[in-house]
Amino acid sequence: MIVFVLLSLLAVAGALGTILWKNALYSALSLVGTLLALACIFVTLEAQFLASVQVIVYAGAIMVLFLFVIMLLNAQYPDQHEDPLPWLAPVAIAGGIVLAGALAYTAFLFKAPKALETAAKALQGGTPGPVGETLFTKFLLPFEAVSLLLIIAVVGAVALVKREPEGKQVRETLEERATHTPEEVVA
Amino acid sequence: MVETPYYIALAGILFSIGAVGFLMRRSVIQMFLCVELMLNSANLVLVAFARAWGNLEAQTAVFIILTLAAAEVAIGLGIIVAIFRKRVSTNVDELSSLKG
Repeated sequence: MIVFVLLSLLAVAGALGTILWKNALYSALSLVGTLLALACIFVTLEAQFLASVQVIVYAGAIMVLFLFVIMLLNAQYPDQHEDPLPWLAPVAIAGGIVLAGALAYTAFLFKAPKALETAAKALQGGTPGPVGETLFTKFLLPFEAVSLLLIIAVVGAVALVKREPEGKQVRETLEERATHTPEEVVA
Repeated sequence: MVETPYYIALAGILFSIGAVGFLMRRSVIQMFLCVELMLNSANLVLVAFARAWGNLEAQTAVFIILTLAAAEVAIGLGIIVAIFRKRVSTNVDELSSLKG
């Protein structure tokens, strides 16, 4: 229980840091703290493989990508300008407290379907072997779909950030031509 | 062993923090970070229920969600970089036009 309390305090502190820092760089680093705490919580939940994947993929790859973009765009500082929705922050905080209370209350309505010890034993520690066995039998179709998704994501990301070559004009589509030059049609 | 409801409650609190942050922050990147936080709280719920039922399928689903999140971040950050080139801003209030 002590381990859980410590880890959850760490996770909540990191989450609060994520939303409270004005500097996006500090926000991202706080989120890394939350993700690492969650990885430790995964270990206590008999999910060792997921814990390591969480560290490698989330705290490692994804957050590094975030930090790259924040530093590349030099976007750590927020733009100074007038807030168009000044009433939104207090409403959001009040709503968030209500939401957290409701979710926490609902959580304690959960009745355990079986004894925790026998259920935890069935997971076999969540090591790569048993997880991989499920992945390549029952989850084979989602697995293949995800591989397709990753290819689409890579191609899409490259297409999004690609620059137009110098001197090459963007061609008008037929529809644009039809809507942009009504005078010529009349003449 | 800590009972399952405590984990679900923690996930609920993390989700709420993420939702509040999404509404409060006006920088696209920080909003995106809050989305990641909410996604992770959902993962925590899945892993907690996997232990409650003694079923590995939820853990496998979390593995697939992790892969999905990686793809989502790649595309999302690509969009942010593309927008930044055109507008030199990551503030959502200034990005009110759908037309490039």
